[in-house]
Amino acid sequence: MIEAGDDRQTELGPKLTRLFEFQAISYSLGSGAGRRVMVSGTAGEGDVLVVQGPSGAGKTTLLRILARLAPCPGGEAFLAGESWRQIPGPVWRSTVHCLAQKPVFFDGTVGANLAMPFETRLMRAGRPFDPGLARHRMDELLLPAGLWDQDARTLSGGEAARVALVRALALDPRVLLLDEPAAALDTVSREALYRVLAGWLQGGVRAALLVSHGEGYSGLDRVSFLTIEAQEGD
Amino acid sequence: MAYTVIPISNLQLAFTVFLVLIAGAVSALLRLGLLRSLLWGTVRTFVQLTLVGYALAYIFAVNNVWLVWAVITLMCYIAAWTAVRRTPGVAGDHSWLSFVAIAASTYLVGTIVTVLIIAPHPWYEARIAIPIFGMILGNTMNGIALSLERLHSGARARAGEIEAMLTFGATPWEAVRSIVREAIRAGMTPTINSLMVVGLVSLPGMMTGQILGGADPRLAVRYQIVVMLMIAAAAAMGCLILVGLSYKKLFTGDGALQPFVLQSRE
Repeated sequence: MIEAGDDRQTELGPKLTRLFEFQAISYSLGSGAGRRVMVSGTAGEGDVLVVQGPSGAGKTTLLRILARLAPCPGGEAFLAGESWRQIPGPVWRSTVHCLAQKPVFFDGTVGANLAMPFETRLMRAGRPFDPGLARHRMDELLLPAGLWDQDARTLSGGEAARVALVRALALDPRVLLLDEPAAALDTVSREALYRVLAGWLQGGVRAALLVSHGEGYSGLDRVSFLTIEAQEGD
Repeated sequence: MAYTVIPISNLQLAFTVFLVLIAGAVSALLRLGLLRSLLWGTVRTFVQLTLVGYALAYIFAVNNVWLVWAVITLMCYIAAWTAVRRTPGVAGDHSWLSFVAIAASTYLVGTIVTVLIIAPHPWYEARIAIPIFGMILGNTMNGIALSLERLHSGARARAGEIEAMLTFGATPWEAVRSIVREAIRAGMTPTINSLMVVGLVSLPGMMTGQILGGADPRLAVRYQIVVMLMIAAAAAMGCLILVGLSYKKLFTGDGALQPFVLQSRE
């Protein structure tokens, strides 16, 4: 005899293990059709999928395609089972949010930059910006509170990387695509970053893709790896 | 005091060739290598303006509404084409958008000025309409060329910011709004500057022409005020229309930035 609760569980089950999925995403690298990549992957709720591969293997390109910043020549991605063909571009891009390798800031203070995502009509329709939570996350990432009123364009590389992460988390996407987020950080701040990321992943129906050169992922659990490699020929 | 136009006879006109010879002598003496272009330019000035003079005399004499319309539309086409051709670094074909922007702003402002403000009889009087539309076109053309160039160079320089806005769920318009604003401002600035210094730094060509043509300077000034303000209005509208339509060409159908914005210029 099956109870109602079990029934619900089996219904929700596939969504939890396949929160974000991409199938046969194929693209070529460089201007010619010389080197091609074909890749599939899955990230369940709370998972971190680390994308690995040699330099120039197309890791950043993969993130840009998955975030719908670059055109996708072939393949399909799904969010909680729903194809990206069914989801409008702006909605997809804020839900499967890609944090650029080089942090981007707008004219204004750090505080104004953190509130920037909430300037779009799509975000205004949802939850408002929570400055308290952002300050808390800055604190967790070992950033001084005085940074809030500093000109964002004058941040150091390590500060910029962490402020950009705070801004991405404020947006609260379902899937966070991170392109070497810890590249500019020392060991202590890198560990803080992974701690904050782990805390965020546990706080809801969330997953992350992480392009990284493998510097150890202390604090992150449920890490799986995906290695991509470009193939010669057409 | 009688206001009259003093005619220039053929002999007097031929005498101006001596002025070119002075410039030619300077070029030859200093080996500037400008002699050929100077001669070619002189010939073109004579031929082009003479032909335009005869064409205008014919058009003014016929004074047919359709002919006036055809001439102005042809002028719009040439201005649109010139504006787009003079913008290096702007990818894609903008001639059609440029024509729409120029024709729409020029026709609206030009019609208001000729029909409502100057109000000749008949309302399409070629002697009034063609020079008025021509002055609007020349200035709108420069304005939209500037704003188109600024839109594209701004998008290239700030591609990272545009993409960041897109990842926040921005629509293409929300992502480029600030760049569009700067582009329109760039297109309007020369016109606004000329509003500031008109009459102080230089006497505008049209006013000078009317004074030479024997008009009362006080009346010439009135015409000039109308012309300055209509140019400002048309330049603003032209830039607004062109940039408002053309920013979409920076994006794919999915609302992402076109790859060419992120790549080096050709």
